[in-house]
Amino acid sequence: MVYSPFELEAASALDAHKDRGVDSICVKTHPPVAHGQLRVPEKMNCKFAWLGFAACIAIVGCAANNPNRIAVIPQTEGTAFWEAEHVGAEEAAHRHGAFVYWNAPTREDDVEAQIALVDRIVHEDYQGMVLAPDQALALMTPVRHALAHGIPTVVVGSPLSIPPSSNLFYILNDDEQGGRIAAHRVEEILHGKGTVAILGINPDLAGIMIRARVFEQTLSQEAPGIRIVERRIGSANVPHEHQVAHDTITSHRGLDVIVALMWTTVDGTLSAIDSLPDARGIKVIGFDVGSAPSFSRSPSLDCVIQEDTRSIGEKAVDLILTRLAGKAVTSQIKVEPVVITRANIDSPQVRRMWSQDWTLGHTPWSPTQ
Amino acid sequence: MRKARLFLQRFGIASAVCLLAAGGIFGYTAWLHAPKRGLPYRDGFSAGKADEWKAFGGTWELANGMMRNESDERGAKLLTGSPYWHNYSVEADVYLLGPSGDAGLIVRSGNEEAGVNAYSGYYAGVRTFDNSMVLGRADHGWMEVPRPSPIPGGIRPFQWYHLKLMAVDCQIAVSVNAATSSEQTAFEITDSHCIQAGRIGLRSYSSGGIWRNVVVQQATHQDLIAMMRAGESHTPATADRADSIPETAESQHLMEIEPEARPQQGLTGVSTQSIGSLRFGSFAASANATVRGVVVLTVPRLYVEDASGGLYLPQYTGPLLKVGDEVEVNGDAFPGPFSSRMDHARVKVLWARTPMPPLSVTAAQAATGRYDATFIELHGVLTGKERGANNSLILDLDDGPQSFRAVLNPGRSNVLFTRLKLNSSLRLRGICAVDSSLTQDLTPFVLLLRSNEDLNIIAGPPWWSTRHILALIVVAALLALVSVVLYHRVENWRLRAILDERGRLAHEMHDTLAQSFAGIGFQLQAIRNGLPSGMPALSDQLDLARELVRHSHEEARRSIATLRTEPLDSEDIAGALEDCARSMVRGTNVEVVATIQGDQREIPLRMTDTLFRIGQEAIANAVRHANPSRLIIALAWSSTSVCLQIEDDGAGFVPGGGLSGFGIRGMRRRAQNVSADLRIDTRLGAGTVVRVEAPLPPRMTLKRWPQVLWKYTVRYWSNARSTRAADSHLYRG
Repeated sequence: MVYSPFELEAASALDAHKDRGVDSICVKTHPPVAHGQLRVPEKMNCKFAWLGFAACIAIVGCAANNPNRIAVIPQTEGTAFWEAEHVGAEEAAHRHGAFVYWNAPTREDDVEAQIALVDRIVHEDYQGMVLAPDQALALMTPVRHALAHGIPTVVVGSPLSIPPSSNLFYILNDDEQGGRIAAHRVEEILHGKGTVAILGINPDLAGIMIRARVFEQTLSQEAPGIRIVERRIGSANVPHEHQVAHDTITSHRGLDVIVALMWTTVDGTLSAIDSLPDARGIKVIGFDVGSAPSFSRSPSLDCVIQEDTRSIGEKAVDLILTRLAGKAVTSQIKVEPVVITRANIDSPQVRRMWSQDWTLGHTPWSPTQ
Repeated sequence: MRKARLFLQRFGIASAVCLLAAGGIFGYTAWLHAPKRGLPYRDGFSAGKADEWKAFGGTWELANGMMRNESDERGAKLLTGSPYWHNYSVEADVYLLGPSGDAGLIVRSGNEEAGVNAYSGYYAGVRTFDNSMVLGRADHGWMEVPRPSPIPGGIRPFQWYHLKLMAVDCQIAVSVNAATSSEQTAFEITDSHCIQAGRIGLRSYSSGGIWRNVVVQQATHQDLIAMMRAGESHTPATADRADSIPETAESQHLMEIEPEARPQQGLTGVSTQSIGSLRFGSFAASANATVRGVVVLTVPRLYVEDASGGLYLPQYTGPLLKVGDEVEVNGDAFPGPFSSRMDHARVKVLWARTPMPPLSVTAAQAATGRYDATFIELHGVLTGKERGANNSLILDLDDGPQSFRAVLNPGRSNVLFTRLKLNSSLRLRGICAVDSSLTQDLTPFVLLLRSNEDLNIIAGPPWWSTRHILALIVVAALLALVSVVLYHRVENWRLRAILDERGRLAHEMHDTLAQSFAGIGFQLQAIRNGLPSGMPALSDQLDLARELVRHSHEEARRSIATLRTEPLDSEDIAGALEDCARSMVRGTNVEVVATIQGDQREIPLRMTDTLFRIGQEAIANAVRHANPSRLIIALAWSSTSVCLQIEDDGAGFVPGGGLSGFGIRGMRRRAQNVSADLRIDTRLGAGTVVRVEAPLPPRMTLKRWPQVLWKYTVRYWSNARSTRAADSHLYRG
């Protein structure tokens, strides 16, 4: 062992005290200061310590002031239907001073891309996630991963089969109500007697299956004279839905109403009716159209039962941020769909649903020419 | 002085190297961040080069010297350029492949991801939906300039448009004109919080597209003003190029097959059969058949698939088809062993945008032929890669016991060719083809990939490749070398600290003990001088006391001499020992002779100290116990060792008898610590020779360092062992 001179000094002092029966002493020693070398005074040391402490507090404070980052992943993006959710999410985030990351697959049926996106969110620095699942079964595992990582998750639109928990919440479109509204509307149109086709049934989304089931149940209970003559599976392909609608109309002459459960089915059905002159009398009840419906261009369109994605997005982000603030939140909320008809298409409530200005009126540019 | 010069020299060289490196890094960074680097840029599509482009979605491939995205995906993009490009314009000819989407250009792009608007940048394009020129900003969300600019004559698919997008500071301008017209539409916006820099890109939304003649060049405010005024005297930049680009039958074909233009084509109640059922037709003669399916591959072969299987359409000359087109095919069907083919096929497009998902199978399953002509996905480990006919990329892969090949068309495959590393684990999607002309009977099947995006690297090659193991060995060797060097450096520091401590103790002894002895002796002498005669007993006791003090003083002086205050240089060993010997024999008739042979060189401090201590001990033993008349100190340097010899002509001793008393054990231990060899030759009455020979550290050369490393490592472990043994011996003793 090699001692430094000041350690030896301390040791010799201890030896001297040991002679007097003292086992340990407190020796204040200073390393020798070379000529020209500055020794930091103790008071200065204290100042440095306080400065360091203040800096740490400032850093922690700055970190604490970082806005919460919420990832919002709809089924797809680039359509008015889902952009409304972006607007709602930004509204809520703006109120809470949070940041919204917005991204989605380029198609509603690209489940793999949505899973990859969720996995990426789980491994990045996000404090919450809002997800509109593309597929009820396949998204279960990624959502469980998110929950295992402690990310508060709100499933919106259509449910998964995972029960709500302290970190998993549902803000769902009230598809049962949607099904009932559609059934009542059919009843009103047909006055208790006629034929109906249900197109666009999609087993991938539990919400669509619920609205189809409730529609049929309500109709059979309240208007047994109305027959359902066709049920067809839907897809995310408009031309394909056009073909399906075309086949349905030509094979069921005298069909009265088509209930189109997906936006692609609505578009395909309307174009098929346009292309068949003797089908103009068929009424269409649509669900969740991609952009504002044009009743003047499509006289067959009776009404649209629209999921209020803007409200859902707003409530979802609000719920996560409330939860992050440590306040109590409701684990499941159902948002009633909005019925859009010729009469209310220009009402403020409906117009609000189609707003796509997620900058909330803060568009950064001005045209100069 | 020499050392100071050497230090300054080394410091100067190190500083110069550091400055040079810092300058280099700074220069490289500045070059990398330069907003003009790589400008002007012109695409290499016509030369079949597009390696610098990176795709996010879509199916981007080069065809006929143009970049084509056949997918109708929303927001497919292809990007290139420097993220630091600031003020520039990008222009290109754009061709829409669908009636309900848009296609255009991106500037100042950054933070790109797969997704519709998953990037930050400005996009401008031509849009069929409202016959307008669209301009906006994407920031993981789309902000469109609310006043779409209508184009005179409208926007039609299957027509070339020349699009120019310019970003100068915070002003973004766009202009468009049809290639066949000189009428130009332009407008400009000012973005108060603009994106400052970024790359360029090609993008389409809900429609395929074709791009050509992509040119990027620096732009100024004058260019922007000129662009906005160009409507008055504008000659379209593409006017010349438009002439040079043949408006081939392709666009006509595209017009013909566009599904939504003619949605009912082919749907007139024709009786169709499943593709799988064609295999049960006559093997003797072809049969006319009609099937419906989805196009799964167009180049190099056309394949159509339905739920029951796939169909190969050889020598197809009809209109151009896109992957995802749902078609009705009529022709002469020939059943094959695993799938069928249809000659003289006539194809009618029913609708588009129905991409077929691949079936996930193993190579073993695909090798059964059951999935011939179908779109599959499988995994494989890359075992080889090469260029095939027409510069196509051929990959050799293994999946368990099965081997197969994957073929990718030229174009953007150059990027893959360099990126793919052997033994990587890949996921591939493509058409399984069981055809001898493709497999050349080397593998059971070939996978025909559609584009780069059909290949994903799941994992790179395992780390235990030969190259990595060699690199690991080299790194380990370097680490060991660094450890040895550090160990020696630490040992030197420790030794220097010990020497410093000894020096301090010597000074302390000199200032306290020696001075006290001198003072006591002086006082005793004074008492002795003042003592009256007639007190012989007291005088004798005082003399004895004086003698004891003198002896103690001598011992103290010797101890002070032994605890040297200054660390030695290697050149000083002989001189220091001579000084030491002379101080020990002062006042006697012992002759001290010191000699040095050979070229002296610098040796580690540890070795210098060891030689000095052994020499000092030998001299002290000779002076104390041997009563010599002559003491020879010889230091001999050779290229590999240094030898110190202390020779006296004194009484000698009997080897083996009480050696430890002479400090010989200490000398041996010191010698062992530097791997030196210690020999003592002595006989009673014939003097003693103590000889220590230490190996010199080799001069480090590139060739010798592994040898040196090995030697030091072995020495380190043997030293550690001997030290442990000695310690345990001391503990027991």
